[in-house]
Amino acid sequence: MSKRTSEAARARIAAQREALRKQERRKRITMIVTVVVIGIVAVAAGWWSVAQGTAEKVTGNLAPVTLESDGTVVMARPGVTAPVLDVYEDYQCPACKQMEETSGSTIKNLAAEGKAKVVYHVITIFQQEPTRSNSLRAANAARCVTDGSEYMKFHDLLYSRQPSETQTGFSVDDLLKWGKEAGVTSSGFESCVRGQSKVAAQEQFTSKIMATGKITGTPTVMLDGKPLDTSVVFVPSDLRDAVIKAGK
Amino acid sequence: MVQLASGTSVSGKLQQPTNSVLPWVATAARLVLAGFLAVAGALKIGTPAISVQAVRAYQLLPDSLAQAFGYGLPVLEIILGVLLVIGLLTRPVAVISGLLMIAFMIGIGSAWARGLRIDCGCFGGGGQLAAGQEPTYFWELLRDVGLLACAAWIAIRPPGRLAMDSALGLTGSAGDEEAEPVDEPRSDHT
Repeated sequence: MSKRTSEAARARIAAQREALRKQERRKRITMIVTVVVIGIVAVAAGWWSVAQGTAEKVTGNLAPVTLESDGTVVMARPGVTAPVLDVYEDYQCPACKQMEETSGSTIKNLAAEGKAKVVYHVITIFQQEPTRSNSLRAANAARCVTDGSEYMKFHDLLYSRQPSETQTGFSVDDLLKWGKEAGVTSSGFESCVRGQSKVAAQEQFTSKIMATGKITGTPTVMLDGKPLDTSVVFVPSDLRDAVIKAGK
Repeated sequence: MVQLASGTSVSGKLQQPTNSVLPWVATAARLVLAGFLAVAGALKIGTPAISVQAVRAYQLLPDSLAQAFGYGLPVLEIILGVLLVIGLLTRPVAVISGLLMIAFMIGIGSAWARGLRIDCGCFGGGGQLAAGQEPTYFWELLRDVGLLACAAWIAIRPPGRLAMDSALGLTGSAGDEEAEPVDEPRSDHT
């Protein structure tokens, strides 16, 4: 009797063990499948996200750059007057640097393709130190450049070498060195940068723009006078689409 | 499925007195934490350049890491949020969410301590504040403490009601289920 019982018990235990093993295996497989699926979704989402933020390459020559007497800088192919893309930025503003890195090339390409007239308005948005003086020194130096293509090179150098907001930067010596790098050769550049001769003009230019109340921060990008949402400005493909659509 | 059913009944018996309410607390905590994470991720994922900028504003990470964090964080937040809602891999997801909250608190706390004037960038935007704005570090920290508490609760008592983990049989440690058959042969031998 007892032998049979224990045999039956043993069989039952064996069956239970087998069932447990199966259950554990199923659990493991479910776990692996789940993790793999999550991994695939993560990679796909990451890939899409990277695509949203990837900058265009500047293809070919820039559209001609004109330094206007009112302090704005126009980049457009001859005869292209619309749509107008107004870029309000500050050389010291980190978000402007981010915008230039992300969408700056798209803006240049759109102008080069004749798809837009681009107008840069470099202002000094900062009220506190050291950012205000940094911004003014940089903007002053840019205003000392007298040639359009040199200006754009200098503009790009200023963004790529933007100092931290917590320290004094854009020193006069650095600005002169970078001017040389950008190909600035005009004789008045050094005295203009050292003498800060254009600071007053920069301050006036800024207060005139701020007085209109159209700008609350930098960067602000306007398409035909209407501010574009940051979710468009910082996504190169969306910015391109918006400008192309406005040109139709 | 039979084994699963018996497995749940055993653990159910063990937890009888507290069984009715406590699992719902974990479910509620999951939904609260998931809501914040998924919304924060969704608002950022479309414009990763701004997300990168928000990370850079903390001035904590070297640039390449800031880039990776800026791109990766929204994706991570959304995935964690979705997994919390459906209750899949609940405990590891809660642990990761909790660690993320600790990382956020370190970031915000250090920005506060260093006197940076930034937006946390938690829900898109982020970076330098305009002249009239004041940082809201205290409230940001308080929110993260609350979310950390949610994550801790979930990690301690996963997965709560309405969880995929239970439906798929991913709950319960292997030890619990082995206890049953291991006991039986011993009683037979005596």
